[in-house]
Amino acid sequence: MKIKILGTGCPKCKNLFNAAQEAVKETNISCEIEKVEDITKIMSYGVMMTPALVVNGEVKSAGKVLSVAEIKKLLV
Amino acid sequence: MSEKNSCCCGGEKTLIMACSGGSNVGQISNNVMIELDKAGKGSAYCLAGLGGDLSGFIQSTKSAKTILIDGCPVACARTVFNRHNLKPDKYFVVTEFGVEKNHNFDNLNSETQIVADKIIKKLECC
Repeated sequence: MKIKILGTGCPKCKNLFNAAQEAVKETNISCEIEKVEDITKIMSYGVMMTPALVVNGEVKSAGKVLSVAEIKKLLV
Repeated sequence: MSEKNSCCCGGEKTLIMACSGGSNVGQISNNVMIELDKAGKGSAYCLAGLGGDLSGFIQSTKSAKTILIDGCPVACARTVFNRHNLKPDKYFVVTEFGVEKNHNFDNLNSETQIVADKIIKKLECC
């Protein structure tokens, strides 16, 4: 599984990254988490609001800091 | 999508989408979307992304306020929204502003300005 956090580096983006890390740790799944801060790459997803969460290439949320519990639901 | 509008970590964003169809009113809807963007009423956005079921467009639209502009009562843009269980916060149809639907593209600029001015007034009063 591959998770990408789209965001230019603001606190909200960092919070979503941290929540995703915690969600992966709690679900104990094999997962690579990548931060994408390049605006051109972010735009290529069609995302208009950050932070955004991408799981295996699919944008699951945009413009929200999901909780650990919400992210876990998207992973299992 | 211009870079200045590409990313927002701040408050709630307003996205403007238009049917952009193949008639005078479809093209006026697209032009009006651009005029609303220029007037600071929101950011022009791609309805085609929603129509194509692209996840980034779906999730961004779900998280934003939306202004949707159809050219005519066939309501293709609204139908795309319905497919994703989305409801626009503001909805306009170009033909309801007195423009007759046809395939004459000669007067788009003047008709765009008339419709855009009326929609901007409506957005400012409601």
